[in-house]
Amino acid sequence: MIDAQGLHKQFGTVQAVIDLELHVPQGSVYALLGPNGAGKSTTINMLTTLLRPDRGTIVIAGHDAVRNPDAVRRVIGVTFQDLVLDRDLSGREALDFYGRLYGLDAATRTQRTKELLTLVELNDAADRLTGTYSGGMRRRLELARCLMMQPQILFLDEPTQGLDPQHRAMIWDYLRMLQQQHGMTMLITTHAMDEAEILAQQVGIIDHGRMVASGTPAELIGQFGSEMVRITANYPADYQPSWLQAEWVRNWAIQNGELRVGVDHGSRRIATILDGLRADGLQVSDMNMTRPSLGDVFLQTTGRALRDEVKS
Amino acid sequence: MINATYAIWLRHMRKFTRNREELGGLLIQPILWVALFGVGMGRMLPDQSNYLSFMLPGILALTALGGAAGGGMMFLDERLRGILREYMVAPIPRLSILLGHMCATVSKAFFQIIIVVIVGVLAGAQLGGGVVGWLATLIALICFTLGFAGIALGVAARSKSIMGYHGMIFLFNLPLLFASNALYPLDSAPVWMQWLAKANPATWFIDVARSSTQSTDMSANLLNLGLLMGFAVAGTWLALRRFNAVTAN
Repeated sequence: MIDAQGLHKQFGTVQAVIDLELHVPQGSVYALLGPNGAGKSTTINMLTTLLRPDRGTIVIAGHDAVRNPDAVRRVIGVTFQDLVLDRDLSGREALDFYGRLYGLDAATRTQRTKELLTLVELNDAADRLTGTYSGGMRRRLELARCLMMQPQILFLDEPTQGLDPQHRAMIWDYLRMLQQQHGMTMLITTHAMDEAEILAQQVGIIDHGRMVASGTPAELIGQFGSEMVRITANYPADYQPSWLQAEWVRNWAIQNGELRVGVDHGSRRIATILDGLRADGLQVSDMNMTRPSLGDVFLQTTGRALRDEVKS
Repeated sequence: MINATYAIWLRHMRKFTRNREELGGLLIQPILWVALFGVGMGRMLPDQSNYLSFMLPGILALTALGGAAGGGMMFLDERLRGILREYMVAPIPRLSILLGHMCATVSKAFFQIIIVVIVGVLAGAQLGGGVVGWLATLIALICFTLGFAGIALGVAARSKSIMGYHGMIFLFNLPLLFASNALYPLDSAPVWMQWLAKANPATWFIDVARSSTQSTDMSANLLNLGLLMGFAVAGTWLALRRFNAVTAN
């Protein structure tokens, strides 16, 4: 449904997106992850016809996004990271206006508005100005708005940003329902690993404009083995634990004073690792063992923890 | 195309009629101009009602300019708040987005203009000219507003901030009016200023308005009307060009 190949976009001397490739099959959810400024927004803007790529092809539901943007615009629904709702309109009016913009007749507009307001549980607030809505209500109205034209594909830029856990879960429920009951294809960008793990069948991690890792969450996490040992110690700057070349080591890295080793079986290997560190004369101050997560994949590929990103 | 233009126009009108501050401001502004400037200046002259008749077209032009600046502001606000992107991902022509904003701008200006005329007549301005003259004035005014709305939208399509927009757009307001025959006859002005005024669309409009509401001789107006229509088209073209340059990169 979404096919992008060799995408390239440059702003002045800054290469925002470099040779990006992306495929989302019909009915599946793709999560695009990346630090701020990695090229996520540029990518989503190109896919949604807001920005013309310098090079490369984009085909959305069989339509070329560069040559035939209007055909693409007819089959997609888009929500933006910064909400675009007009604060001076009521929720009902915002949906009605959107339908009108697309040339929907009055009866259909009224009916769909009613259905969608029910779906996102905003019936009670439908006639209040959206300026009085809470963040969660606005996100839900945005979702309703982009469903107004019954799109085949949704592009959701940070759909749960700034929401409390309860409202995030609510949005996730809607999105899963849309996928399961309506076979909706979706591309979401997110900072939150849990969101990607819960919603997406495919994940792409983008950094400095390049796709640095992609695959199913299980594939990406699988490269770290079944468990991840983390050990904090006084590592010298150029520390190279050459003894970590063993066959049970899937992957290792030292970042922010923490050594992370992906292993086949944590409890069996932890003693070996500790012995190796002691033999190199290091003082271990903390250690733990977890199942590797998408967060570890992200940290490994971008060198940045997602927690830092959320703050900025 | 027409449908999307109408939708955008309707949205602005609905917001406009709901916004008491804006409504009140636009209502009071022209009244104050006629009452304070027109009457005040008129007192210095022997025949007060004559000056009011003379400068009423000037106030109309000023009102239209203010309306155009406000229209650009409205567009800039939607652009900076990201609302514009909602239109951009819709399968509608880019021109309809512009036309929707321009029509809304003209509608608001029209609302003010009616008030200016009513207040002006109540204050003693004498307007003649008959239906043809009125129609000519109306067409001239719409073209004048469209032209400047186009310029304002063109500036708003690129402005990075509200302050930057105001800095640019202020040029099109009072200074433009001072460089025209709006407030005083040009006979006594230096030659360079007369030329400046002759190239000024405000002068074209004021000429049309003044001559067609004070006499029935229309022949001199045809050139001015033609110029104003050209100005309206040029303004729209400029806005569309700037708009496309911003959105198609």
